[in-house]
Amino acid sequence: MKRRNLILSGLGITGALIVGWGVLPTRSRIGKPGNMLPTEGEVALNGWIKIAKDGGVVLAMHRSDMGQGIHNALSVLVAEELDVPLKQIRLEQAGHDAIYGNVAMFVGTLPFHPMQSEGVDKPFAVQSGQWIVGKVARELGVNATGGSSSVKDAWEHLRMAAATTKASLCLAAADLWKVPLGEVKVKDGVISHASGKSAHFGEFANGAAAQTPQNVTLKDRKDWSLIGKPTARADVPSKTDGTAVFGMDVRLPNMLFASVVQAPKMGGTLTSFDAKEALALPGVLKCIQLASEAGSAPGFAVLAKTTWHAKQAADKVKAQWAQRAEGAIDTKRIESELKDKLKTEKGFTFHERGDAAKAESNAARVIEAQYKAPYLAHATMEPMNCTVQFKGGSIEIWAPTQVPGLARATAAKVANVSEDKVKVNVTLLGGGFGRRLETDVVAQATQVAMAADGVPIQLVWSREEDMTHDFYRPMHVAQLSAALNAKGEVESLRIKSAGDAISPRWISRVLPALSGPFDAPDKTTAEGLFDLPYGFANQHMAHVSTRMGVPIGFWRSVGHSHNAFFSESFIDELAFETKQDPLAFRLSLLKEAPRYAAVLKLAAEKAKWGQALPVGHAHGLALHQSFGSIVAQVAEVSLQGGTPRVHCVVCAIDCGTVVNPDTVAQQVESSVNFALSAALFGNIDIQDGVVQQTNFTNYPLVQMAQSPAVETWIVPSTHSPEGVGEPGVPPLAPAVANALFKLTGQRMRSLPFKA
Amino acid sequence: MGSSNGSHQPDSISYQVPSTTRKLNLMNFTVNGKSVSPEVEPQMPLLWVLRDTLNLTGTKFGCGVASCAACTVHQDGQPIRSCVTPVASVAGANIKTIESLGTPEKPHPLQLAWIAEQVPQCGYCQSGMLMAAAALLERKPKPTDADIDEAMTNLCRCGTYQRVRAAIHRAAGALV
Repeated sequence: MKRRNLILSGLGITGALIVGWGVLPTRSRIGKPGNMLPTEGEVALNGWIKIAKDGGVVLAMHRSDMGQGIHNALSVLVAEELDVPLKQIRLEQAGHDAIYGNVAMFVGTLPFHPMQSEGVDKPFAVQSGQWIVGKVARELGVNATGGSSSVKDAWEHLRMAAATTKASLCLAAADLWKVPLGEVKVKDGVISHASGKSAHFGEFANGAAAQTPQNVTLKDRKDWSLIGKPTARADVPSKTDGTAVFGMDVRLPNMLFASVVQAPKMGGTLTSFDAKEALALPGVLKCIQLASEAGSAPGFAVLAKTTWHAKQAADKVKAQWAQRAEGAIDTKRIESELKDKLKTEKGFTFHERGDAAKAESNAARVIEAQYKAPYLAHATMEPMNCTVQFKGGSIEIWAPTQVPGLARATAAKVANVSEDKVKVNVTLLGGGFGRRLETDVVAQATQVAMAADGVPIQLVWSREEDMTHDFYRPMHVAQLSAALNAKGEVESLRIKSAGDAISPRWISRVLPALSGPFDAPDKTTAEGLFDLPYGFANQHMAHVSTRMGVPIGFWRSVGHSHNAFFSESFIDELAFETKQDPLAFRLSLLKEAPRYAAVLKLAAEKAKWGQALPVGHAHGLALHQSFGSIVAQVAEVSLQGGTPRVHCVVCAIDCGTVVNPDTVAQQVESSVNFALSAALFGNIDIQDGVVQQTNFTNYPLVQMAQSPAVETWIVPSTHSPEGVGEPGVPPLAPAVANALFKLTGQRMRSLPFKA
Repeated sequence: MGSSNGSHQPDSISYQVPSTTRKLNLMNFTVNGKSVSPEVEPQMPLLWVLRDTLNLTGTKFGCGVASCAACTVHQDGQPIRSCVTPVASVAGANIKTIESLGTPEKPHPLQLAWIAEQVPQCGYCQSGMLMAAAALLERKPKPTDADIDEAMTNLCRCGTYQRVRAAIHRAAGALV
């Protein structure tokens, strides 16, 4: 594998496909006024900001809010630089220009070790890799909300767009009032001059459009009044009175509702169906066969006057399905195949330091362990749905999606129209967690709309369809080993894992033009294993990439979600085997990683690590970096009737500069609960091609009574912002497992803890 | 509120609802203080009558099997899971949904507490959470943590549970 191919693997791109990017002009991400929707009474000053007559600020919102609070964070960035009250920011959905693409998410897919890729002294390979992928991502302009990247991605250009807007408004005011620019002041959305003149932004919008400010600079952080302070989310009131509009809440005149049934066996196809009985039911209009598009499973949809009528009728359709040619998928067999591959295949080496194999052959003792994590469903509270109207050759979509541009492309392809004939309205998302990076439901709803004679249709999956037709977090197994010398010191760490690669499968579904015949090494397989901060002299981390046929996708924290369980549990095993305190052992290995050590010390101090706990309680800790943020968690755990009960999780996080500390706390709380559901219960079994878990009754989630108290401590930082939505997930399972080991003496090496 | 006669017959489409349509019972009940008589099958779950017939979309569909409680509404003051409640069983009853928990002028103390504690994240489960919490406070104006654990079995994928707990305690304090 040449380094160049490795660099491009982050995008799943082969060399030939990027011909052309180099000659395209560099785009300024501040954009042009024409990027924004022209609206009477509003003046666009760049691709992000319009000023309304009443002085209101309209922000092009390019990211989807699925609970993570991004609408708040991006509004804060703009309000800060513009010096307007936060409540004066109004949101308008951004268009499809490449300036709204997500560059940081793609750069984040590069498999560089974090100790090499942060800071200014990056090696050339890292610098050039980030430059190339950044360049390609800018040209692709894929608008995606994912990878805990939204603030990181918007940080520079969105503040610059706001600062430039403010500079233009000030120039316009100085011209109009004929006063020196330096005497024009801005505060709380009002421009004023010592002479007593003052007016809101709306008065200068037209004048500002004619200005070209030079040498615009961003505020110094000491002058920030909003960034870093808790601010209330504007979406909260609507989420307490039923007025928030999620995908399923879209209501249009005359709309009809569709319910789907998809191939019950994974990879199966629909051979025939008889809808006679279904169509005879009241309120039922049509049964439509659904082709497989954008990764969707084949099946059919029934169109009716309500979702319930559609579902009742769909259950009455007599369908014949064919099994996939390769035979039925079975998770037990996949598990044993993965374990075989660990023994027989070398895999791709993501990281190497010293000679781990030699260290093991010279060792006084080798410690070995094998770990496993299962397939998992996303189980967003809002089941998959999409509303589409196909009329007069044009398509309008209302979708809770993380990828509006890809949704547009999918609908255009399915309906064989050009993308400019497709309008996408992004609703609020009732959870995303990576599931809504897919466009399978958009493809299905478009097919139904094409058969609905111009009437808008809302397609809604039952919970059972949602649970059994997900793009699952892939199963992975890992073999970990460490060499101990005669003094009992750890000389090496070796990790090999096996499982499916996520990025190439996703790219083949949503960006098929970029999909190559072979999978390049994919960071999602090894993240959380190859990029550990610990200073073992000898390290070797490899991954065996497989294709087991199960549809797999990005699941909150992706590879880290299971890899942190493998690595941080094994680190705890090493501490125990070398008779060291888990905190002291880790700190001794973090001498070259002060940021990590600081986070770990903060969590341990706040949790009072090492102090007495109630009888029957134990502390476990874990430390993990993902999406640029370092998180340490100390879990206080007991056993109640043999079942783990997590009482409290104390978290410390270094996520660089914080925009809204309350959002950081919310996301850490959310991540702990999300990860705890997975650790205690999360498991998808497939038998004879059929997913066995169908609803919350057999895929349970943590409830109020099982939910731990969560404390979040933020490490003050002046680094650039890093991810917040996901990094709280990975350390939870190992922290709980490490506490359970103290309670029981049993090492948990397989998730979930309670089958 | 949308049409209350249950008719979704499209005007721009040639289909006809089949003439074999069974004779439908006319159900009378009250939703948020207004009398409604949706023309629907008696076994149709209240959830879908609210959402798809009456266009009251604040009440959410999550599981369809009374497991997640996103569909919680009040029937004569009692919390029920509307996804498994046949509409016939609420004939003559008073149904209250999230849309009438409070008003913009007079929000319910829970709604104010929800804002103060910044409870919702994605927000999808919150209608059900609020309706379950409102019923709890009716029954127990000063609930203990154990009362909350017992009454609040709603599922939240964003893990807002401890903020929900704090907001219920805050609202209980305000109800003095």
